[in-house]
Amino acid sequence: MTHSLDWKKRRKLRVTVKEALQHLLLLAIGVSFMLPFYWLVATSLKPDAQVFQSPPAWLPHPIMWHNYPKALTYVPFARYLLNTLVICTLSVFGMLLSSSLVAYSFSKIRWPGRNIAFFILLSTLMLPGQVTMIPVFSIFKSLHWVDTIRPLVVPSFLGGAFYIFLLRQFFMTVPLELSDAAKIDGCSELDIYRRVVLPLAKPALATIALFTFIGAWNDFLGPLIYLNDDAKYTLSLGLQQFVSRHGAEWSMLMAASTVMTTPIVVLFFFAQKTFIQGITLTGIKG
Amino acid sequence: MSKSSYAIILVIALLVVALLYTPAEKRTDGKVNLTYWTGWTGHELEVQRKLVARFNREHPNIRVRILSVAGSYQKVRIAFAGGSTPDVCSAIWADELAGYAIRGVLTPLDTFMKEYGRSGDEFMPGVWRMLSFRGRPYGLCSTTNSTFIVYNKGIFRRSGLDPERHPRTLAELDRAAELTTAYNADGTFKRYGLRPSSLVFWAYVFGGKWYDEKTGRIAANDPRNVEALRWMVSYAQRYDITRMEAFEQTFGSIQTVSGPFFVGKMAMWTTGEWAEEHMRRYAPKVEWGYFAAPPPPGGRRNTCTVGGSVFVIPAACKHKKEAWEFLNWICGPEAVKEFCLSIGNIPPLKSVAAEPEFQNRPLYKFAIELAGGRNAFGPPPVPIWPQYAAEIARAEDYAMHGRRNPKQLLDEVTIKMQKELDRTLAAFRSR
Amino acid sequence: MRNMTRRQTSRLVKADLRNGLLFAAPWIAGFLCLTAYPIIASIYYSFCNFDAISPPHWVGMLNYRILVTEDELFWRSLWNTAYMIVFGLPVGLVSSLVLAFLLNLKVRGMAFYRTLYYLPSITPIVAASALWLWLLNPEIGLVNELIMTFGKMLHRLHLPAPAGPGWLIDPAWAKPALIFMGLWGAGGGMLIYLAGLQDVPEQLYEAADLDGASSWKKLWHITLPMLSPVIFFNLVMGLIGSFQYFTQVYVMTGGGPQDATLFYALHLFNNAFLNFKMGYASAMAWILFLITLACTLLVFKTSARWVYYPGELK
Repeated sequence: MTHSLDWKKRRKLRVTVKEALQHLLLLAIGVSFMLPFYWLVATSLKPDAQVFQSPPAWLPHPIMWHNYPKALTYVPFARYLLNTLVICTLSVFGMLLSSSLVAYSFSKIRWPGRNIAFFILLSTLMLPGQVTMIPVFSIFKSLHWVDTIRPLVVPSFLGGAFYIFLLRQFFMTVPLELSDAAKIDGCSELDIYRRVVLPLAKPALATIALFTFIGAWNDFLGPLIYLNDDAKYTLSLGLQQFVSRHGAEWSMLMAASTVMTTPIVVLFFFAQKTFIQGITLTGIKG
Repeated sequence: MSKSSYAIILVIALLVVALLYTPAEKRTDGKVNLTYWTGWTGHELEVQRKLVARFNREHPNIRVRILSVAGSYQKVRIAFAGGSTPDVCSAIWADELAGYAIRGVLTPLDTFMKEYGRSGDEFMPGVWRMLSFRGRPYGLCSTTNSTFIVYNKGIFRRSGLDPERHPRTLAELDRAAELTTAYNADGTFKRYGLRPSSLVFWAYVFGGKWYDEKTGRIAANDPRNVEALRWMVSYAQRYDITRMEAFEQTFGSIQTVSGPFFVGKMAMWTTGEWAEEHMRRYAPKVEWGYFAAPPPPGGRRNTCTVGGSVFVIPAACKHKKEAWEFLNWICGPEAVKEFCLSIGNIPPLKSVAAEPEFQNRPLYKFAIELAGGRNAFGPPPVPIWPQYAAEIARAEDYAMHGRRNPKQLLDEVTIKMQKELDRTLAAFRSR
Repeated sequence: MRNMTRRQTSRLVKADLRNGLLFAAPWIAGFLCLTAYPIIASIYYSFCNFDAISPPHWVGMLNYRILVTEDELFWRSLWNTAYMIVFGLPVGLVSSLVLAFLLNLKVRGMAFYRTLYYLPSITPIVAASALWLWLLNPEIGLVNELIMTFGKMLHRLHLPAPAGPGWLIDPAWAKPALIFMGLWGAGGGMLIYLAGLQDVPEQLYEAADLDGASSWKKLWHITLPMLSPVIFFNLVMGLIGSFQYFTQVYVMTGGGPQDATLFYALHLFNNAFLNFKMGYASAMAWILFLITLACTLLVFKTSARWVYYPGELK
């Protein structure tokens, strides 16, 4: 009896040591990854004089909490935040819906011309966007969509090549047996899409939602080109107000950047809770 | 109803919102609405906003709406290409003006100016030259700047130089730079005397030119330009350019107290009239003086470069008369005086520059003399200037790092840019 | 299928075609309305003298000819971009994979760690670049400080000591500096790998454990094959993205020192929006397109050999 107890204790110790080492490794590398963000926050709390001190100051002294309310009132922050949230939410919704539908078509339905269409899809990513900016703008101008958020949101409802490609890869890892079984049960393609394939791609969908949100949140060029009224401006455009020809209001810029980055960090933290290994597919016996 | 039906309804509702979300239209009530785009941000933008509000109050039949485009080239170019330009735009740099003007997308302002009794003589000659292309003015400006050298008297004194006697010749400048350079024990810089930069500027100081207006040819390899570059390269060699650059990367922003000149990391600094404001705020205890860049024998005295933002009326503007009203006002004496005083630049209008607020400040008086003098050079009237300037900067970069010699580099620039200019002009002749 | 009549099979094919097109309708509509015209327009621009502010004028192959025969910056930027792909892409792919494995360990508080590692990807570039410029400072930056300390240790052991390079102000070290910086941006790829790792069925590992397989064998025979669709994705997107590498150099170096970081997309941008040469830039874009297409096709051709799709519908 004592033997098995000892063995259990030894095993527990080995597991704890292993875990401790893993924590150590994660922290050691993690510290360096945290550096840019730490720098952002630290600089935002520094007085102007310390921002470019050489050698650099790691800790702000004194801590200028005041930089935050100062930065947030320098521009109409609340309005920009609302505008940005509207664009982001709509974009995420549209992208999830449209990209998953299209990806299903490219992965789970066999139709003539599919492979060519897929390659055309990929090809659209290979042309640098700078040379299509002007014709795209003329299209939106002829629709009278300039100075609205439509050019920023509507394309999300038409699928994004990057996300379609990603989801196609994920859908192709869902075993054929599952969708075949559903077909035999008399399910339509829409049912298979909704009930079989989509639930199994939750991590991928969460990733796409996150990327789309972050992309729309940080998008600078889109809102700049299509919005002509600063009541409609977004946070990323507001950030530019801190930068002028002769330099920038560094600590305020960093404070505003921190405020802009924090919601993304929080969003990420909760979004990746869906990444729990083990909830995956089962149900196939023998 | 099932969950998915809710979801579908939500989606449709959001779609409808997205497509129909239009904020309330502004009432027009008979006023002419003008859109005004500016590249300014931050403090300059605030002052512009105030000026626009004042104009709107004083001109009840016009309403100007200001928008900051944050210095973006793309938005302005796309607006021109897509045919949705603003009525007035100050997001165009003097460097680009010739390029825009030759393509006929700007409204020439001479008829308006004549109508309103204004003339080019009101402006400093160098500035006026920069605003015109092929004899017609295409824009006005409300600020200008100048270039000169500022020096730290305390460092001069400690290095054995007379703090009240600034360098008057190029040789004296070299000597002052050498004496004021100091090294740390490990050989890194503690301070350097001067780092010549901007070949465009120094070429003018040496008496050179970048474009021959008489022959219409690119003059990048003018012997005096080459001489200027050789002089700059001499500094790169004497002080080891890589060390200098490494040292420069420790510099703080000039908008903070850690600016290199403020903390004594450089003894002399090529800058403009805004330095006074910065010195007052960030380095009030530093004793300093200023002088115009000293030329070599055969060079030009009291040289400076001028530039900045230009106010234009795009040719597609539908309310040219009202746009001119605004342009005329914001580049008129009252608005120019207020703007320049609050952002610390010098006024391009001679009448405003003569006012006591500017003349009573010695540095501003000095800067105005430079910018208003006959050796004030704006960008030359070539439509390819942005590309040309980039090539000059590239030649400077390569020469300073010892890759190929100055004459070779500038010869190459001349050939390349002449070809480019010929092609551009040919394209216009054939239309 | 053999037991069905030809009419039945053609009806199935028709049904599949209908469903396929229906599901793909959002993208097809988007392509026809918003993408096709700009693509055709940019091809047209590439054969024109187009300054982006007044209408274009046809010049035939002139832009292409100048690019290939006269523009030494075209070749230089192409070389810089190729360097980035050959050295930067593998580094990026491997590092995000390694990170994903690290962040998939069964350790408490993993959500916190993953957030930590993802932070650099979402830190605004304006803040990150200021930090990097200081970190990579040849004289006082942290990186060279560490190299010098390491060098002193080696020196004491009478071994040759490395000197800290000039990083972003040295043409020979500027690109390696950017690749080094790119390591911190591994967050995006890492996330995609993590999502992929969630889909590897537990039973496979359990079965392998029963057979007494080592960790290495499990990695090589289970994890990597099951991840291959996602590895393939990151490879293709990484390739396409590297050809268009732009933002970091636009903000931090502007193409210097001495054109060492003048990448293709930056040269394109300068021509498109600064030099009034949008037509020329369009020609550049289409040359890049063809090169990217060729490389991607190559990757696709080899993919059949190493990418495994459990649910592929041929």
